[in-house]
Amino acid sequence: MTFFALRATGGDPVANLLAQGLASPDQAATLRHTLGLDLPLWTQYIRFLVGLLRGDLGVSLYTSRNVSIVIGEQIPPTAALASAGLAVALILGLLLGVTAAWSRRKSVGDLASVLSSLALTLPVAVTGVASIVILNVFFHNSPGAPSVAGLQQLALPALVLGFASSGGIARLVQTGLAESLARPYVLAAKARGFAVGFRLLWHALRPALPPVVSLTALEASFLFSGTVVTETVFSRPGLGRLLVASILRGDFPVAQGIVVLAALLYTAGHVLADLLALAIDPRLRRQA
Amino acid sequence: MRRRVPIALPGVWLSLVVALSLFAPILAGHNPLQPVADPLSPPSAGAPLGTDSLGRDLWSRMLFGGRLSLGASVLAVSLTILAGGVAGLAAAMAGGWADRAIVWIANSALAIPGLLLAMLLVAAIGPGFPAVVLAVGVGGAPGFARLARSVFLQVKQGGFIAATAALGADPLWIAIRHVLPNSRPQLVSIMATHYAWALMGTITLTFLGLGGDPSVPEWGAMLNAGRVDLIGAPWAALWPALAISLTVLSVHAIADAIGRSSATARRSELET
Repeated sequence: MTFFALRATGGDPVANLLAQGLASPDQAATLRHTLGLDLPLWTQYIRFLVGLLRGDLGVSLYTSRNVSIVIGEQIPPTAALASAGLAVALILGLLLGVTAAWSRRKSVGDLASVLSSLALTLPVAVTGVASIVILNVFFHNSPGAPSVAGLQQLALPALVLGFASSGGIARLVQTGLAESLARPYVLAAKARGFAVGFRLLWHALRPALPPVVSLTALEASFLFSGTVVTETVFSRPGLGRLLVASILRGDFPVAQGIVVLAALLYTAGHVLADLLALAIDPRLRRQA
Repeated sequence: MRRRVPIALPGVWLSLVVALSLFAPILAGHNPLQPVADPLSPPSAGAPLGTDSLGRDLWSRMLFGGRLSLGASVLAVSLTILAGGVAGLAAAMAGGWADRAIVWIANSALAIPGLLLAMLLVAAIGPGFPAVVLAVGVGGAPGFARLARSVFLQVKQGGFIAATAALGADPLWIAIRHVLPNSRPQLVSIMATHYAWALMGTITLTFLGLGGDPSVPEWGAMLNAGRVDLIGAPWAALWPALAISLTVLSVHAIADAIGRSSATARRSELET
């Protein structure tokens, strides 16, 4: 599970970007020496790995502050955005999926599945910009106008981020539900006099849920890439903005640290997804 | 259950976009880098789509932008197909430790979400279009290699491959002459999906400002530039947003259609 560290070799190239105009050749050379950049790549790599094990990610080339602290400061806004986004994704995904499979009116079901296809395909950059326009067109002259800024802080970014992740969930719910609705036990439940309502829906939905739960755990770790774009669209502080800014400044220790963190989260998400699947579906346990 | 979008519509849109991009120098009418009117003027006879925050003609910028967005993503996906395809073919044909090594490398690269892997590559090379193309191309390669490998392995199971090998054919000859052509339907479908990914990736990276010089017309960068004046002059962001959405949706629709047709082709092959 340590193989994500492999990419550290890709992140090492000398940060002479800093030297371009910002420092004289002499200064750049001293700076490189203090940062250990004049050492061979392998030595740097080992140093990085050793530092990683001690929780030390090095020093920012731009602010000379400890990378762990720089990154740590930006975690809360991103964590808030990601968890709100995940909640939206789950609610919206279930809603769209159930509507698409369950609706007796064809047009409503079609609308839901078109929406989930859009969620799957449209880039977050486009939906984010569109949402700002929609919000401002609708609330432009209304008395609620001052709250527009407030909405743009968390609700709107979370909605955009959640919408993007809801597509996959909706698709999975829709196919799972459609499949189990065709099963004999649903017919049997109907025959036993269950009203065509929530109880029957729950009956049919439950077997479709395990894959949804594991997908959600994966989406949770994947949300991070979504926050990169969302934070840029809404000019919101956070890890994503920090990552983009660090890349543009050539501040590779910070960029490297964020990617390592993301890879850790991603791997954790995978493990969590597997564990959840085992917990939900006893059939898998026998195989393992 | 899902209504199928008529395939003609995405096809027409894509050909239109490609044609407009190809003939951009003839159709543009203005230099995309020079101001032609007041900043942020609404659509008019002189500038049919309005102007951006520096007074540059948006119609011309959209045309040249399409050139760059489509061109960069096509280059990127070619890189993906070449690198991933060669690796996948080598893994499938060689087997043994070479196969295991290639799969291991692909899996470790896939431990990082694609966009982050691409951003990391841009960080290593430095922002700019070459970096974006390389990052998106290399970022897609591990996934492509894995999928291509499984397709090749499947084809390799066919009796005719064993027959050719028994006749003493060179493994490289078998790979190029027999395995590749017989993998085509499935490969094309994987390629189409990867092109959709490459286009999204390119636009996302340039939107984030990693494409370098912001004055160069490109859809993702233009969308980001238009975002600033969204309320007063929505057109500056509207055109790139529309073009990106329609193009991405069309590519997905066509990739879906290709995937379905290759699946039916395989099924009918099995039945006969």
